[in-house]
Amino acid sequence: MLDDVTKDKPVLTLEDLSIEFPTPAGVVQAVKALSLDIHKGRRVGFIGESGSGKTTTALAVMQMLAEPGRVSGGTIDLGGTNILELSEEEMRRARLSRVAYIPQGAMNSLNPVMRVEPQMWDGIIAHEGHLDRAELKRRSDAALASVGLPLHTADLYPHELSGGMKQRVCIAMGIILNPELIIADEPTSALDVVTQRQVMQTLKAIQTQIGSGLMLIGHDMGLMAQTVDELAVLKDGELVEHGTVRQILQAPAHPYTKDLISSVPLVGGESFLSPDARADAPKRTSSEPLLRFEDVRKDYGSVTALHPMSFTLQGDTPQIISIVGQSGSGKSTMGSIMLGFNPPSRGRVLFEGQDVAGMNAAQSLDFRKNVQAVFQDPYACFNPFYRVNHALKFPYKQFGLATSEAATQRAMEEACAAVGLDPELVLPRYPHQLSGGQRQRLIVARALMLSPKLLIADEPVSMVDASLRASILSNIYDLKDKYGISILYITHDLATAYHVSDYVMVLFKGHVVEAGPPKEVIGAPQHPYTRLLIDSIPWPELDRSWGDGRTDWDPANLEAEAARAEAIYRGTVPGFDLIEEAPHG
Amino acid sequence: MSTANMSRAERRQARRIRRFDNPWLNPKLIWGASLLFSIMIIGIVGRFLWDLDLVFTGSSPLKLPPLGFENLRGQPGVIAHPIGTDGGGRDMLAMVIIGAPNTLFVGLLASLIGMSIGIFLGFSAGFLGGRIDDTIRVGADVMITIPPLLILVVFQSAFGDVTLTMMALLIAGFVWQSPTRLIRAQVLSMKQSGYVQMAQLSGASTTHIMFREMMPNLVPYLFGSFIASVTTSIVTAVGLEVLGLGPQRIPTLGRTIYEAINAGALIQNLWWWWGIPTLLLGVIFIGLLLINLGLDEVSNPRLRRLS
Repeated sequence: MLDDVTKDKPVLTLEDLSIEFPTPAGVVQAVKALSLDIHKGRRVGFIGESGSGKTTTALAVMQMLAEPGRVSGGTIDLGGTNILELSEEEMRRARLSRVAYIPQGAMNSLNPVMRVEPQMWDGIIAHEGHLDRAELKRRSDAALASVGLPLHTADLYPHELSGGMKQRVCIAMGIILNPELIIADEPTSALDVVTQRQVMQTLKAIQTQIGSGLMLIGHDMGLMAQTVDELAVLKDGELVEHGTVRQILQAPAHPYTKDLISSVPLVGGESFLSPDARADAPKRTSSEPLLRFEDVRKDYGSVTALHPMSFTLQGDTPQIISIVGQSGSGKSTMGSIMLGFNPPSRGRVLFEGQDVAGMNAAQSLDFRKNVQAVFQDPYACFNPFYRVNHALKFPYKQFGLATSEAATQRAMEEACAAVGLDPELVLPRYPHQLSGGQRQRLIVARALMLSPKLLIADEPVSMVDASLRASILSNIYDLKDKYGISILYITHDLATAYHVSDYVMVLFKGHVVEAGPPKEVIGAPQHPYTRLLIDSIPWPELDRSWGDGRTDWDPANLEAEAARAEAIYRGTVPGFDLIEEAPHG
Repeated sequence: MSTANMSRAERRQARRIRRFDNPWLNPKLIWGASLLFSIMIIGIVGRFLWDLDLVFTGSSPLKLPPLGFENLRGQPGVIAHPIGTDGGGRDMLAMVIIGAPNTLFVGLLASLIGMSIGIFLGFSAGFLGGRIDDTIRVGADVMITIPPLLILVVFQSAFGDVTLTMMALLIAGFVWQSPTRLIRAQVLSMKQSGYVQMAQLSGASTTHIMFREMMPNLVPYLFGSFIASVTTSIVTAVGLEVLGLGPQRIPTLGRTIYEAINAGALIQNLWWWWGIPTLLLGVIFIGLLLINLGLDEVSNPRLRRLS
């Protein structure tokens, strides 16, 4: 079926591989009869949701399965060696020298009390015994150079490196012994898009250079499309589809693959939303604007997280305002200032004409009822001690919305149904029994029950499986569309911001650099920073020059250029008024 | 599948899995609790079955050995005093029946008071922050560096005879520091957690957040910390008693050891006099240790093993 595969002997052959985990509830089949080859120099992507068995397969290849998991059938053949028959000592020698593993959170896998260089030497010494210092230094320098890091990196401690640099150090460590196979387990999941592009380019370039096989594990179809040659789609431990990327993207055979591909929102592509604007204008008793920032500034020590910013959100017609930017751009700081969790260093935040910082008890309760939030981490939002209905019932009663126990129950059930959850199945459970997607929907349902005037959604889908993102976003969109709630959507994902929002602000180092309607700002960006962000997004388009290993693409330069450029304002929308920052310099 | 047609290994596996499912069925926890429980049973049942007047000086013959042994004078043990008598003519069994629960009581009371102080201060420090936090933290850190026995010896000598409750109160003044620090640390990290923010968004009051949202999640820590401070309290109490301080007229295990040493029980080979209270203290400490280990496994699932 794969006609363009080279005829060499594959570096990795999985044959009928099955892995099981005995648990209290019975034996869980994590991987079911998986057969696959990885050839020399080929990049194979393993894509699937969390729990689909991708990482388990990789760990089995490394013989590092967590207790009590075990390989229950099949063989793993690494370039002619049956890994399952190796002793502990033989396997130790095979790791790194023949198969390297680049783990998910690189920041956690470097030793914080050692400089980078001795950590790189550790691997060489463990496999080849003590070499002389000059030789070790030569090899570690070569490895650092090959991942594009300056040589002085070797003398730094991990905390002195940025996330992207740490991840590249991990790649350098992985390739230092020229392994036949590199396994990269979501190597960029903790990095923002710009760094992600840089790290993936490095990984591709070095893999091509040493000619090893690459097993890339991930859940982002766009990233896969831009990086790998072959794609293996896993679902519930089964290999549902396998083929070249082109084949799979152009003609996906399995419905799950189609879902995965269509769940990636594209800028300018077809919208995943079904607008249904039958919301009545929200009932406003006050003529004051809903939310107003007056020269709000936030400093953390000597660092300014947010430069003075002023805007007015009228709130008479429900709107979604997106705030986009990388981590550290000040977007989450803005969110917590709006919620009153974090007082601004200067300036005032007014909610319906009332300063958020100086409210009395009754005003404060009213503010809380009317300004709700959906946070990034659905796992942390529920108290593990209570059943999930506590999170819905408690605020409902607290704000005096509950008339009777039965009415509360009915309201909870209606809200669950509105976000596509089965109330009987979900409400009486404990948080750890629900998936991330279910929990995030419950938080949306909670907001719905309280019918606030303003919802602050801080990265609501970044920790949810890709295939669920679109449906949760459309749940949130419905809040505006059907229930008339104004929403501030804080995200790093420009593609979703393009579809859901009425107005977009791009934040860079605490400044607004470009603002306006999404069709202009994201559809036709003018500011160099916005362009940099958009160029960094991996999309499932094969013929785009994303990860082609070009060396002239240097984000540091582009960012410096962006810092010099003036903010660009691209028109306004009625109901939202951003005060333009005076040109600097 | 019925249990009848399961093999032995399968049954064992099933039992382990059940244990994994319900952490409270922890063998360490069960053993530890039974040991402490048996000490209490001795105290409670003994009061009904044994003549407690035998605890007074001169109520029995002196220095009788336990049943089945002979002392240096060649006297055999008698059934009227099954575990012997001490140098003052007191029945050892009666002393154990009264003394062992007393020792446990001092430990429990002292750490109950210490924990309450710790919970209060820990929550205040973690939740309110600022000056209050600084004051409480420095106070607790300073108190940790002061050796409790030194201060208590001075206190007790000044007071002369004290009651059990008084002694528990004094000891409580030295066991609140570590719970304070522990709870403060937990509250600080919990304050940032999503569900506390959610509760704030829900307009919850500070007391609601403290006692309804945070406290239930602290229970395993509180339990563990409680057991640890019971151990510390008992060690401190016994230390004072063995030095001859503490309650003068109420029998406790520590005081019995003090009297044994003072009367030269070691030279006269009256091993039961000091040996039996020491053994009982050992049982109490092992019981507490097992409970602590068991609680660790309950609150930290990673320590639990399936196989």
